[in-house]
Amino acid sequence: MTALPAWLPFDPASPVTLGPRTLPGRIWTASGCFGYGLDGADIRDARGAGPFAGLGAVVTKTVTPAPRRGNPPPRVWGTVHGALNSIGLENVGLDRFLDDVVPRLAGAGTPFVVSLAGTRPDEFGVMTRRLRAAALDVPGWHGVELNLSCPNVAKGGVDFGRDPDTVRACTEAAAAEIGERLLTAKLTPNSARIAPLAAAAAAGGAHAVTAVNTLVGMDVDLRTGKPVLPRRRGGYSGPGILPVALAKVDEIVLETGVPVIGVGGIRTAEDALRFFAVGAVAVQVGTAQMDDPFAAAAVAAGLNGGGAA
Amino acid sequence: MTDPALSAPLRLEGRVAAQARVSASMLRLDLHLEAPAPASPGQFCMLNLAGESAMTLSRPLSILEADGDRLSLLYKVVGRGTRLLADLPPQAQVRVLTPLGTAFPAPQDDRPRLLLAGGVGLPPLHWWHRVHGRAQDVPCFGARDGADAPWPLLPSPWRVSVDALRDVPAGRTAVQGNVVELARGLTAQSGADHVVLACGPVPLLAAAARFAAERGWPCHVSLEERMGCGYGVCRGCVAPTPHDGPWRLVCKDGPVLPADAVDWDRFGLAPAAAAQAYDAPTRLLPEEDPA
Repeated sequence: MTALPAWLPFDPASPVTLGPRTLPGRIWTASGCFGYGLDGADIRDARGAGPFAGLGAVVTKTVTPAPRRGNPPPRVWGTVHGALNSIGLENVGLDRFLDDVVPRLAGAGTPFVVSLAGTRPDEFGVMTRRLRAAALDVPGWHGVELNLSCPNVAKGGVDFGRDPDTVRACTEAAAAEIGERLLTAKLTPNSARIAPLAAAAAAGGAHAVTAVNTLVGMDVDLRTGKPVLPRRRGGYSGPGILPVALAKVDEIVLETGVPVIGVGGIRTAEDALRFFAVGAVAVQVGTAQMDDPFAAAAVAAGLNGGGAA
Repeated sequence: MTDPALSAPLRLEGRVAAQARVSASMLRLDLHLEAPAPASPGQFCMLNLAGESAMTLSRPLSILEADGDRLSLLYKVVGRGTRLLADLPPQAQVRVLTPLGTAFPAPQDDRPRLLLAGGVGLPPLHWWHRVHGRAQDVPCFGARDGADAPWPLLPSPWRVSVDALRDVPAGRTAVQGNVVELARGLTAQSGADHVVLACGPVPLLAAAARFAAERGWPCHVSLEERMGCGYGVCRGCVAPTPHDGPWRLVCKDGPVLPADAVDWDRFGLAPAAAAQAYDAPTRLLPEEDPA
């Protein structure tokens, strides 16, 4: 590709305004694929550049109210067209995140969005309130992305993310505390219809939705005939899910008009353009970023001035 | 934790300078990188094909030698990814993240170092021995049989053990047994305290750790686990620590760790055994953020 396509409704290198907040770019890193934006920050390319050039935001690894140890290893597995993971939301917990991680992100000047997960809808509100109190003066803190893929303890373990009423309840709880920051809800592709979930998030006060989270997947080790992950099934991501993610974004845009941050299998500037073509206003690079700390920056560079990589 | 003396990782393009089989199971891959990337023995790199043909996940490979913009790796074809690497012709373009992780400690005293390398665990200890090796050190390598051993890389003083005593080339010597048994024989007469450095399959590492602990000798091991990123962001490659302590990240806290930092009863288990050993919750999460 030598030039940006004429049909693009915006300059993909421009800032993006979502709700009350303007982020410096439309290419972000996806939750869980670039840590808290701290590990990997010291990596350089041959020209001495770092991995943050041109990025709109780092979406942090998901933070939960208490620390989580996560799942037993092995936790990752490469497949022909993607990757499986079963990390189990290992994280330092909200206290340590606020005390330790937020000041370091503030010091580095990294634009970031915090991914939050709870086990009851009201926890999303409590976490958002505490984050806001701790990060209100941090200019790089742009908002919250709700990770709704955890089992809802109060509702018999049904996932938050598959039930529109619960999506709305979680979003409302966070929206009441978010103030003048962005609130987006990350939606699951693992239900027949995603538009009702996006509509529920918007009704609950989300300014945007992030689509999509991982697909349920598994693989088998043919030497043993057993699943490759201790918990059998995990999250499937990477290039193989791009057409699925694109269809989900298309459904949301056509049926709800809710602003969408597209994510799923993006590796190149051309992949990002596909999401912009169906109406996404920003995109996230996930699995490719895990593999190459410069992946998102390369997508951004490819969309800056038309020289797609 | 990361030694401040180690260089920060570089993300570089490179080309295949040469690739050659060094044993029945092992290939040596020499890369020419776009910039110099200093590393230390024990560190590793993440290697992928360049551009559109890239695999979803890079493959972690330990470093046989890093010299300026030259990077030499030794690996075994174990699956689809390493098969793709084995097919790379000269001049093929690759992407490398290097150097990653911790290094085997350089000798700080006169105690002999006992090097226990198994199979494709040879590169870091081979390099360590060329950089730091002294007359009193005892380098040992274990292979399945003579055909499995990369003999050109194993000149004296390397000692070789083989599980099956066959295909040993004329003029070379190997003893039957595993590499820890070889080491037991070699050190039995010496009253000296040794320091053990080990790299290889999990059973070798566990046996090396036990061997050293029985003698009160320090032991450093290089761990291997399935990796997503190799640079600390995905938390995929966790290793269990004694008494249910916090995980160690193989890619960032390791791969080289003190042997007593690892819970050997639970490290490197197959998935089904891991589910039991960790008493993983039986409820299956229908999905997980790649988090």
